[in-house]
Amino acid sequence: MADIQSKTATTESISRGPIAMQLRDVAVSFHGRTAVRDCTFDIAKNQVTSLIGPSGSGKTTLLRALNRLHDLTPGAKVTGQILLDGVDIYRGNVTVTELRTRVGMVFQRPNPFPTMSIYDNAVSGLRFNGIKKKSLLDEAAESSLRSAALWDSVSSRLKVSASNLSGGEQQRLCIARALALDPEVLLMDEPTSALDPVATLRIEELMTSLKSRVTVVIVTHNMQQAARISDDCAFLLMGEDRAGELIEFDTTEKIFNNPVDSRTLDYTLGRFG
Amino acid sequence: MTLVPTDLHVHDEAVAEFNSATADRTWYHFVLLGAAVLFGIISVGFVGTIFWSSLPTWLHHGVTLLTGKGWSSPNGPFGGLAMIVGTLETSLIALALAVLVGLGTSIAIVFLVPRRLRNIIATLVELLAAVPSVVYGLWGLAVLSPWMAVTVNPWLNSWPFAKVLFGNPGQEFGTSLLLASIVLGIMILPTFVAISREVIAVVPQDLIEASLSLGATRWQVIREVVLPTAKIGLFGATFLALARATGETVAVALVAGGVADAQFHLLYPGTSIAAWIALTFGESQGNEIAALMALGVLLMLLNFGFSMISRALVNRQRKILAIV
Repeated sequence: MADIQSKTATTESISRGPIAMQLRDVAVSFHGRTAVRDCTFDIAKNQVTSLIGPSGSGKTTLLRALNRLHDLTPGAKVTGQILLDGVDIYRGNVTVTELRTRVGMVFQRPNPFPTMSIYDNAVSGLRFNGIKKKSLLDEAAESSLRSAALWDSVSSRLKVSASNLSGGEQQRLCIARALALDPEVLLMDEPTSALDPVATLRIEELMTSLKSRVTVVIVTHNMQQAARISDDCAFLLMGEDRAGELIEFDTTEKIFNNPVDSRTLDYTLGRFG
Repeated sequence: MTLVPTDLHVHDEAVAEFNSATADRTWYHFVLLGAAVLFGIISVGFVGTIFWSSLPTWLHHGVTLLTGKGWSSPNGPFGGLAMIVGTLETSLIALALAVLVGLGTSIAIVFLVPRRLRNIIATLVELLAAVPSVVYGLWGLAVLSPWMAVTVNPWLNSWPFAKVLFGNPGQEFGTSLLLASIVLGIMILPTFVAISREVIAVVPQDLIEASLSLGATRWQVIREVVLPTAKIGLFGATFLALARATGETVAVALVAGGVADAQFHLLYPGTSIAAWIALTFGESQGNEIAALMALGVLLMLLNFGFSMISRALVNRQRKILAIV
């Protein structure tokens, strides 16, 4: 463990409060080619953790390892340990479908199911998991849409196709859809990159308000966004062999104001990337 | 002419070249336009003469052609019911077979077959779709027909209610409406698989990942996300396959038995519009030619209809996916 620690500039000051997920020397490779490696850090419970870094640094690849989305990709291999509540999500006693109900995901492009209504989208996760009782579904639809700050604008047209919503609304619907399962962790892969500034702001406000009920891990290209909304921050960078690696992990405040690694400073100051 | 920059650095050669380029373009323009006009004339002439030659039948025997039984050369009556019923029967049974087997195949190709094999299989399917239909017909006649006569027909006749579906035993040979349906089904299967595979494959990956991220199983992803999203395009593929089945001529002519009798006993010989035209035209004259032309018009309209529906559905599918 000691040499893992020394590879990254993780400091002990970061360990405060309960932990939602732990990454231990996590690496992801495709057909033997490493895409990201050396990722060791803790994701604090009920905090927003951001993954930042230039294109190709492996942020999204790392994020997708956290709910085993790489399982589908032929040739993909995840090594190291990813613990959710202390249980290894790849080797522990947890099924992949159960894991994904506990670790939800919001994607870069709003992707509500185009053939489903707003209501059906909101409760789709519950239906996948065998819940059929209408009262339960109704309740979950309303509470998740409220949590996603969407209820007031859609409550009168729940049966309308989700593709009638604006981009920002669609993305909030996707957040509601994930929240309906009451996950412990919500992974967000550049959730505002396809949205206009106003819609972006609303999603950011939403993330902050969601902290009390869910741990958020967000990949973002936008450094201001990371600075605004995240509590902790992981900075990744592409190494010489074109594999991404964790350069530094710390509180967002420290990453942006007083980083240990000079490359972190260069990146946050916009000198490259 | 002021399009050409007139500053001092432009040489006269360049100006000349530019002018000859515009001259070229004008010449080219007229050739293209001419080709397009020619195509227009051919199309209008083709459709127009078919309609024109069939006009006598529509005027004097229109109702008989659509609903009448019996066909006698050279002066009629020219009842087309047997051909119309035969076309619809064989096409719909063929379609049912093709959709059932084809949908399963497409899903398997997209989701179950390893990526490396996928392209090979897709190519093979497309090759099968390109096999000329006379080969399918010949195969049906030489291979399937004896097997039907010896093995399948007696077995089918042992079913309860066999008489209703298949007619009295002993009246059938190898060739029948059922055999035509089966051969047609096998023939349109690759067409259906080729298109439906594509329709399924273009369902956006992020919808699949979204459903997986909500804890869906692979089967749920297919049943509740992929198929509903691809639904309209799959209907489009179905109508295209139907259009191919209704228009198919040679294969049906070889294996259907060639008897113009409107009935629903599937083991009896029958015929279709296209097959009847092909088999009868050689010896036809006068009024019969007009009647066959009228059948041709009917077939053309039927196929236009199916193709239009198919096209509209595929376009709508495209729009749905564009929204995603």
